[in-house]
Amino acid sequence: MRHEITFTLNGESRPIDVEPNDVLLDVLRTKLGVKSPKIGCERGDCGSCTVLLDGESVRSCLVLAVEVDGHDITTVEGIEHDGLTAVQEMLIEQSSFQCGFCAPGIVLAAVELIENNPQPTAADVREAISGNLCRCTGYEPIVEAVVAAVRTPPTSGGSA
Amino acid sequence: MAIVHDFKYVRPERLEEAVSALVAGGPRARVLAGGTDVVPWLRDDVITPDLLVDIKAIPDLDRITAVDGRLEIGALVTFSDLIASDVIHELAPMLVEMSHHVASIGVRNRATIVGNLCSAVPSLDAGPALLVYDAQIHMAGEHGTRTLPLDEWFVGPKSTKLAPAEIATGVTLALPPVAHAAAFAKLSRYSGEDLAQANLATLATADHDYRVAYGAVAPKPFRAAAIEALLAGRPLDGDIVAAARSLVPDAISPITDIRASAEYRTHMCGVMLERTLRAAASRLASDGPPYPSHLI
Amino acid sequence: MTDSYVGTREPRIDGLDKVSGAAEFVDDLDFGPDLLHAAVVESPHAHARILDIDASAAEAIPGVVRVVTGRDFPYTFGLYMKDRYVFAQDRVRFVGEQVAAVIARDPKIARRAAAAVNVTYEELPAVLDPKPARADGSPLVHPDLGDYPHVPWFFPHGGTNVAHWRKTRKGDVDAGFAAADVVLEDTYTVPRYAHCAIEPHVVVAKQNQAGRLTVWTASQSPYIQRDLFAEALQPLGLSHQDIRVITPYVGGGFGGKAGVTMEIIGAALATAVKGHAVKLRWTREQEFYNTYQRQGLRARLKVGATKDGTITALEHELLWDAGAYVEYGANVVNAAGLSATGPYRIPNVSIDSLCIYTNLPPGGPYRGFGYSEFHFGLESHMTRLADELGIDPVEFRRINAIREGDELPYGASMNPSGLREAIDQTAAAINWGEEEQSADPHVRVGKGFALFWKAPAMPPNASSASFLKFNEDGSVNVAVSGMEIGQGYLTAMAQIAAEVLSVPPSKIRVETPDTDRTPYEWQTVASHITWSCGNAVHAAAVEARERIFDVVHSARGYEDGSLYLEDEKVKCDTDPDFALPLRDFVITGLEMEDGTWRGGPIVGSGNFMPEFTSAHSDPETSQGGHPNVHYTVGAAGVVLEIDVETGKMKVRKAVLAVDVGKAINPAMVEGQITGGILQGLATVLYEDMRFDESGRLLNPNFTDYKIPTSLDTPAEVIPIIIEVPQPDGPFGARGVGEHTMIPAAPMVANAVADATGLRITSMPITAEKVALSLLEAV
Repeated sequence: MRHEITFTLNGESRPIDVEPNDVLLDVLRTKLGVKSPKIGCERGDCGSCTVLLDGESVRSCLVLAVEVDGHDITTVEGIEHDGLTAVQEMLIEQSSFQCGFCAPGIVLAAVELIENNPQPTAADVREAISGNLCRCTGYEPIVEAVVAAVRTPPTSGGSA
Repeated sequence: MAIVHDFKYVRPERLEEAVSALVAGGPRARVLAGGTDVVPWLRDDVITPDLLVDIKAIPDLDRITAVDGRLEIGALVTFSDLIASDVIHELAPMLVEMSHHVASIGVRNRATIVGNLCSAVPSLDAGPALLVYDAQIHMAGEHGTRTLPLDEWFVGPKSTKLAPAEIATGVTLALPPVAHAAAFAKLSRYSGEDLAQANLATLATADHDYRVAYGAVAPKPFRAAAIEALLAGRPLDGDIVAAARSLVPDAISPITDIRASAEYRTHMCGVMLERTLRAAASRLASDGPPYPSHLI
Repeated sequence: MTDSYVGTREPRIDGLDKVSGAAEFVDDLDFGPDLLHAAVVESPHAHARILDIDASAAEAIPGVVRVVTGRDFPYTFGLYMKDRYVFAQDRVRFVGEQVAAVIARDPKIARRAAAAVNVTYEELPAVLDPKPARADGSPLVHPDLGDYPHVPWFFPHGGTNVAHWRKTRKGDVDAGFAAADVVLEDTYTVPRYAHCAIEPHVVVAKQNQAGRLTVWTASQSPYIQRDLFAEALQPLGLSHQDIRVITPYVGGGFGGKAGVTMEIIGAALATAVKGHAVKLRWTREQEFYNTYQRQGLRARLKVGATKDGTITALEHELLWDAGAYVEYGANVVNAAGLSATGPYRIPNVSIDSLCIYTNLPPGGPYRGFGYSEFHFGLESHMTRLADELGIDPVEFRRINAIREGDELPYGASMNPSGLREAIDQTAAAINWGEEEQSADPHVRVGKGFALFWKAPAMPPNASSASFLKFNEDGSVNVAVSGMEIGQGYLTAMAQIAAEVLSVPPSKIRVETPDTDRTPYEWQTVASHITWSCGNAVHAAAVEARERIFDVVHSARGYEDGSLYLEDEKVKCDTDPDFALPLRDFVITGLEMEDGTWRGGPIVGSGNFMPEFTSAHSDPETSQGGHPNVHYTVGAAGVVLEIDVETGKMKVRKAVLAVDVGKAINPAMVEGQITGGILQGLATVLYEDMRFDESGRLLNPNFTDYKIPTSLDTPAEVIPIIIEVPQPDGPFGARGVGEHTMIPAAPMVANAVADATGLRITSMPITAEKVALSLLEAV
C-alpha cells in the first residue's frame, strides 16, 4: 500500500510515494538522491546514517519513511546554505577526519549539540558523538576541533 | 538491507482510533512509537506484522506531569525528553542517570521509556529504575483502560501482560513521601553504548527504607526483596552493606552469554549494590556524586 | 627559499569533500534505474558437501533476473595461492560462504529470492582449531592443497592442513639456551579480530554490450583486483585490457579491503547479466564473516638471556588459525615467520610459523599483518624475562635493541633507525620508574612498555608509478593509484610534488584511482605507499621540473644548472631579476623573438621498484634472500588505571614514539598514532570474535563486537615523531600506518602485571578477565 507523503528535506518540500516498509535512509539515498547519510550497520549501532529530524539527531536506518510525513529532515547537505559551518571549517583546518565515512553523521551530531549547548566542553562533545562510530581517528582530533570551533570561530566561517 | 516483509501503516490522531485500528488489525497488528526496536526487528524478520499503528500523532502522550507525589510519564516520552525535563531533574534525577546509560543521543531522541518497557528485553535499563519507584503502567484497550503494577507487567524475556489490541499509554511513579535519593548503575563492556550485562537501581529514604531492583540478571527485572528486608530501617554501615552483598548470589539468576559470564555478573551485582547504595545514601546527605554519574 | 611543503601540517586536500558530504563512496554513485541488485545465498555449515541447489522457486519470483551458482563460475582465484572460489563448488568451508547469488530488480526481491534458493548439504566433520587441524588424521579443509598454484616463497604441505610453513633459523639455539642464565618459556593466545571499517564492502559491476567490464569497488587494491579478475575470468575471454576498476573514496580499510574478497562475485555476476550494472553490498554481518579476518594465533615462545641482560636465543612457534582460504593470509604467516624476533639483536633464532587451514572464515591482512599478533606474546615475554633477571624492563630493551647494520633473523642487515631515541623519549613521557597513585581507593595504577617493529610484506617486485601534468593556471594533477583510505595519502603525495615543483598543495589535485587513467600501483597495504608511491611521485615531479628547465634553457638560454623553482616561478642563480611564473608557459610554451614557440604542456612520469629485494632463500632457514625493504621501529608506553574490584581499566596516558624517517605531514602521522593506538587498545580491552561449536560467528555486529566510541579513548595520547632518515625514502620517509597499533596489547598486559601482579597471556584482557583473575588470585 503506497503512501503519498510530503516532508521538508533541507528546506525544500519533497512529496514522494513510499511503501510502509521503506526505510528513511534508503528513501533519502535512492529515491531522493541525498547521499551523505551512509549505510554502515542498518541496526542503529554506528551512527553513519544520522540525520536531523525536526532538529534532533536520529538514526535514519531506524525510521520508516512514512513516519516523517509532515516533518523536517536535515542532512549535512542542508545545514548551511552559504558555505560551511564553523565546526566544518575547523574540522577541515585541523584535518580531523581520515576516511570521512562517519563525517556527515558526526557533523550533524555536533550541530545538534551546539544548537542545544553553544559552549560545549570536550566531555560534552564526546558524549554527543558517542553514538557515531569512527574507526580511523581515535576521536580526539574531532573532539578538539569541535571545541576549538566554538571557542574561536575561524574568520572565514559561517555560523555554528 | 531492506525490510522485505510487507505491512500496512496507519497514524491515528486519537487514542480510540488507535485502539480501533489495533482491534481491526487483529493479532498481527503492532504499535509503533520510537521504532528503535521495532524497525530492526522488522528488518531481521523477528516480527512480521500486517499492520503498524503509529501512535506518535496522538496528543498528550508526550507529557511528563507531577501531581500529588506522583510522576506521570506518557508513552511518547523519550529518554532525551527525560534528560531535558526540569521536572525529572527535580523529582527523580536517577531517571536522568539511567537515561544517560541508554544507547546514545541519536537513539535516545527516538526511543521511549514506555517502549522500553514494552520491548521487555531482560537488559532493559528502564525496568529497575522504575521498579524502585513502585511504578504502575497504564493501558488502553477495547474495553477501556487498566493499570498494573510494573512488577506484574513483566512476564519474561520480551513478554509482558500487554494484551493484543492494547496500547501502553504511560507509567506513574510513586515518589516516596519522605526525603529520598537514588542511584543507577549499569554493567557494560565499556563506557560507550552497550546493552546491560547487569543493571541496578537503588533508592534510599531518610527513614532508612531501601529499594533495590536488578535487571539483566534474571528473565525479567525484579525487586530484591530479601536485600531490601535486611537493610530496612538501618543506617548504612560497612557491616550491613557486606551482609547485603552476601545475599546477592541468591537473589539473582544470571546466565553466561557472550556479553558476560554468570560469575562476573554475580560478582559485579555485589559491587554495584555496594556502590549504588553508598551513592544513594551520600546523595541523600547531599554530598554524593552528581546526577548523572558512572558509578562503576 | 620558498616555504617548504614537506614536513608541514598542510590541511588534508580531501578535507572539504569529506566534511561537506561531497565525498562519494562506491555506494553513493548513481547507475540509473536499470541498476540490478544481488543477494548471496550463504552456507549454514562450517564444512559440508553441496549435493543439490534448487533455484526454481527463486527464479519464479517476479523481478528476479538470474540465479547463478558455482556451476556458472567454476573458477579459482587468490593473491598468493589460488585456493579461493568465486562461488563454492563441491563443498563449503565456512559458515557464511557464498554458494549462489540472486540478481533482481530491487534489493527487497533479491533478498526474498535468496531465501527461496534451496541447497541440500551433506555435513562433513569440521576443524575449528588449528591444533587438532594440524594433527594426523584431521579432516582436510583442502584435499587438493598440493595442486594449488602459489608463489615460490610458500611451502604448502599437501595432504595436510598446513598451507604454508615458514622456517627461519639463525645460529645455534641449543647453544644459545645453554649459555643463558635464565630461560623463560610460555604460550600466548590471540583470538580473531575484525577490521570494522565503517563503510561495508560494496561492488558495482557492469559488462557493457561491447564486452567491456567496469567494476567499481570499495578497495585498497584496484590494480590487484583487475589482475585477479582478469585471471579468474580469463575463461570468459576477459583479459586486463577488457577490465577497468574504479575506486572512489574508501570508508576505511585497515587491510580488510586489500586484495579481492566479495568483489569477485560482483565482477562475475556482471558477466551473467551483460548490459546491466549490478550492485552487491555486504551487510554489516557479512562484513564480519565473509571478507577477511585477522587470524588467530597460538604462540609458544622461549627466550634465554644471561645475567647481564643479553638475549642469547629465541625460539618461537606460531600456529595460525588461518581459516578456510589462505590466498592472502598465508603471507601474514610468512611475514611473521621472518620477523618474530621483534626489534632485538639475537644471535640464535629459531622461528616456525605455520599457516593452518580451519573451517572458519578466511584470514587475511589486517593492520599490523601478523606483527600485532606476535608482539603480544613477545613484548609480554621481554618484560617478564627482564623481571626474572632483576633488570628494569626498559633497560633490558635498551641493552638488546637492534641497531643499524645488525644481522636480521634471515641474514640481511638492519636499516638505520631511531629505536633508542624512541625508547628514551617514551620512557620519559610516561615517567617510567615513578609510581603513580589514584585518589580512588579501588584503583591501582600500572605502567607498561613495549617495543615494536614491522617491515612491509610484499612481493620483491611490488612497484608504484605516477603521472603528473600541469594545467593552464599552473595547477597540477598527479595521477597515482594508491588509495586514500583515510591515512592522508593524497595529501602526502601532493606535498611531495609541491616540494619539488614549488607549487602549493592546495593547487595540486590528486584523485582516486581508475585503472584506465591512473598508472600502476601494487596495492595500498603494508605501510609502504608513502615510501614507494612517494618515490614515484617524486620522480615524476623531478622529471617535470627537468622539462621545465629544458624549456627555459632552450627558449631563454639560461644554463640548466643555474635554474631553480621558487614560489611557482622559474628563477636563476645568475640572474636575480629573472622570475618566470609557471602558469605563463607550462601549457603554452615560451614564445621566441621570431614568433615561434618552445616547450608545450609539461608532464612528468616516474616509477619506483625496490631493486634490492629478493624472495629467494633456503626454505629450511630463510637465509640468503632479502625479503623486506626496511623496518619501521618504535616504542610505546601506557599509564593504566585499574579498578581492582570491577576490573575496569582506563588509560590515563598512552605514548607512542615511532621513527618515520621523515614526517611528510606531522599532523597525518599524529593521526595515525592517535587512531592506531585506539584500534590497538580495543583489541586488548574490548574486542574479539566469538564462534560457537559449529563455527558460526556469534557477534557479527557492533552490538556485541565492541569497537570503541568517543567515550572509550585514552585520557591523553602523546605522539612522538622520530626522524632518522630512510636513505631510499622520499625525503627520507618510511611507513607508519600499521605500526601504531602493534604495541598496544602487550603494553596493556605489562601495565596490568605492573599494577596487580597478574600476568594474562591470552587476549583480550577485558575487565571481566581481570576482575575474575584477581578474585581467583586472592
